[in-house]
Amino acid sequence: MTLWLMAGLLFTPLAWAVLTLMVDFRKGRLVTWLGMAVQVLVSLGLWAAVASDGGFLYLLGGWQAPLGIELRVDGLAVTFVLLTALVAAACGWHASIYLDPGKPWHRYFWPLFWFLWAGLNAVWLGGDLFNLYVGLELISLAAVGLVALGGQADALRAAIRYLMAALLGSLAYLLGVALIYGQFGTLSLAGVTELMNSGDAQSGQTFPLVLMLLGLALKTALFPMHGWLPPAHGIAKSPVSALLSALVVKASFYIAARLWLDLGGELGGFALAQLIGVLGSLAIIWGSWLAFRQTKLKQVVAYSSVAQIGYLFLLFPLTWGVTEAISLQAQQGITLQVISHALAKAAMFLAAGNLIMSVGSNRVDALAGVSRFLPFSLFSFGLAGVSLMGLPPTGGFAAKWLLLQASLASGQWWWLAVLLAGGLLSAAYVFRVYRASFIESTDTDQFYHPSRSLEVIPMILALMSLGLGLVAEPVLSVMSLPFEGGGQ
Amino acid sequence: MSRFLGITVLAAVCLVFAGALMITVWQIAGTQAPVDLPGLLADNLEASGVEHPITAVLLNFRSYDTLLEIGVLVIAGIAGISMANTASLEDPELRTSDSLLYALQRWFVPLMLVLAGYLLWAGSDRPGGAFQAGAVLAASGVMMRLGGIPMEFLRPGVLLRLGLALGFSVFLLVAVVSAMAGDAFLAYPDAFTKPLILIIETVLTFSIAMVLLALFVSAPVNGAEEPEEGESG
Repeated sequence: MTLWLMAGLLFTPLAWAVLTLMVDFRKGRLVTWLGMAVQVLVSLGLWAAVASDGGFLYLLGGWQAPLGIELRVDGLAVTFVLLTALVAAACGWHASIYLDPGKPWHRYFWPLFWFLWAGLNAVWLGGDLFNLYVGLELISLAAVGLVALGGQADALRAAIRYLMAALLGSLAYLLGVALIYGQFGTLSLAGVTELMNSGDAQSGQTFPLVLMLLGLALKTALFPMHGWLPPAHGIAKSPVSALLSALVVKASFYIAARLWLDLGGELGGFALAQLIGVLGSLAIIWGSWLAFRQTKLKQVVAYSSVAQIGYLFLLFPLTWGVTEAISLQAQQGITLQVISHALAKAAMFLAAGNLIMSVGSNRVDALAGVSRFLPFSLFSFGLAGVSLMGLPPTGGFAAKWLLLQASLASGQWWWLAVLLAGGLLSAAYVFRVYRASFIESTDTDQFYHPSRSLEVIPMILALMSLGLGLVAEPVLSVMSLPFEGGGQ
Repeated sequence: MSRFLGITVLAAVCLVFAGALMITVWQIAGTQAPVDLPGLLADNLEASGVEHPITAVLLNFRSYDTLLEIGVLVIAGIAGISMANTASLEDPELRTSDSLLYALQRWFVPLMLVLAGYLLWAGSDRPGGAFQAGAVLAASGVMMRLGGIPMEFLRPGVLLRLGLALGFSVFLLVAVVSAMAGDAFLAYPDAFTKPLILIIETVLTFSIAMVLLALFVSAPVNGAEEPEEGESG
């Protein structure tokens, strides 16, 4: 059964990419709806299978690592596969109504969308360093294509900038992979970890790990390498921005985190961990401040992503040189942060798209009066904002609570200030949008009303992000499931 | 002054990077890798269906990587044609009427087609294969395009899209059929390994050439017009 589910999971997005390439936007939409249903069901099935029986290794082509490629299907991976299925299906559904079918270039949206989905799944499941690189390439190129889709000079400029940053990051990562391969003779991450921990191989080099982390941090837009993110995420169509902020940046972070947890203990050091943590903190403060200063609505949301990504990098100092229990707490906190940010940010971008569509302008101050005409979308925006601020009972709160506990328990109290300041600053930029929308004194009474389903989708995502804090326990228990066969 | 400072800092960063890289490579070169992958590869070459290790790795042991890489090429092709219109395919200004080019074309195009076929076949027991053959095929296409030979299939229509996706689709189909036959994704049935690899390589050659050619033909023009959300176009 699980073999069928795996085949379905790998096959569907790739096959649907080809199918939708052959038809125009309207037919592609119908085909995509079917594919999304299949993919969500398969992801749910796989999640349930792993939740009941534990994780397993999937040998592609029947070849074992190090000769072949193994997929590591564990609790964390299937959780992210399921998250991707939910968020991508929501974004795809939104896009199918939001995008104008009359524009000839929108037909290419669907194949790129499906390739992006395939790449994300490849990264969550990947257990092979080079295969992860291929997954990253799949994601980056599809994302760049989506940003550039039919765009004018500004969009193309943002897309090229994004492409350059993504390629540079990939190259740094690849160079690190080559060095690791040179030293250990295998590309399997589990194999390298095992060799390093067994101690009979000569101790590893720190430089390859630093190179890989540097490349991945660039792709994740860690401060001060975040310059490419706001233009690309801000100028893309709203469903695309939602996909990029919610899922795409998480893929490179996920690889960095797995490298750190597997190899960081041996190859990393206190200074490196603290440095990454400090950069993450600066990202939180600086990103939030810039989000507060933006005049365009989607730029506010995009800079907020820069800030929220900063939290993720607190994983590095909070898992180095601490006890197993604290490390687990930090990992759980970061995982919750990834999930809750993915749901909240997707909701926020989709709601922002509705608001922009409604008032016909992308400026924050043009929102005046919209609270009366589009309260539903504005409410979704606010609910997502509540999760970003980290107020209870949201997923954001649960995540920050775990991080707080981990930093106190490990004696690294300085991250506390960052966590608190970040919450306050995100409240500031969310309320700024709200303040603009409640001003009544304008003479505009021309509002376009987006269709009901466009408004429902961000609401569902925002509610899921809100409710995540309540179901954090069962979600986390699946992620920490043991691995069948004791592979890890 | 600030410019000078910038260059100095940049140079220093480059030097540190190169130095660290050199030291690491030097230290790694001095050690024996604990896993002997080439040896393992040689032991399993028999079962792979082809005689050349590189082809065996690309099309059998690590075929999942290759499948996804072809996906990357298809994405590049899609991104290229999504922002271009190729109405200028018949643009007289873009035509060269160079008699030397025509003469060269007459000699080269058939030769290059044969070379592409040879490279494809050579992949089974020596360096060669779909990527090289596809590149040569694309190069001959570029030459024909420069000479103004009409190639209707390169207009962004259904033919172009079929051509882009053909190799990838066949590869994917083989992958999923083997999974449905009860094995893992991409595990070829033992009896058909060689013919399957040959079929995949052939269609891949065609599609790789198509992607490269499509990027060359449709890259320069941008007729798309889409204002940013919330701005009147």
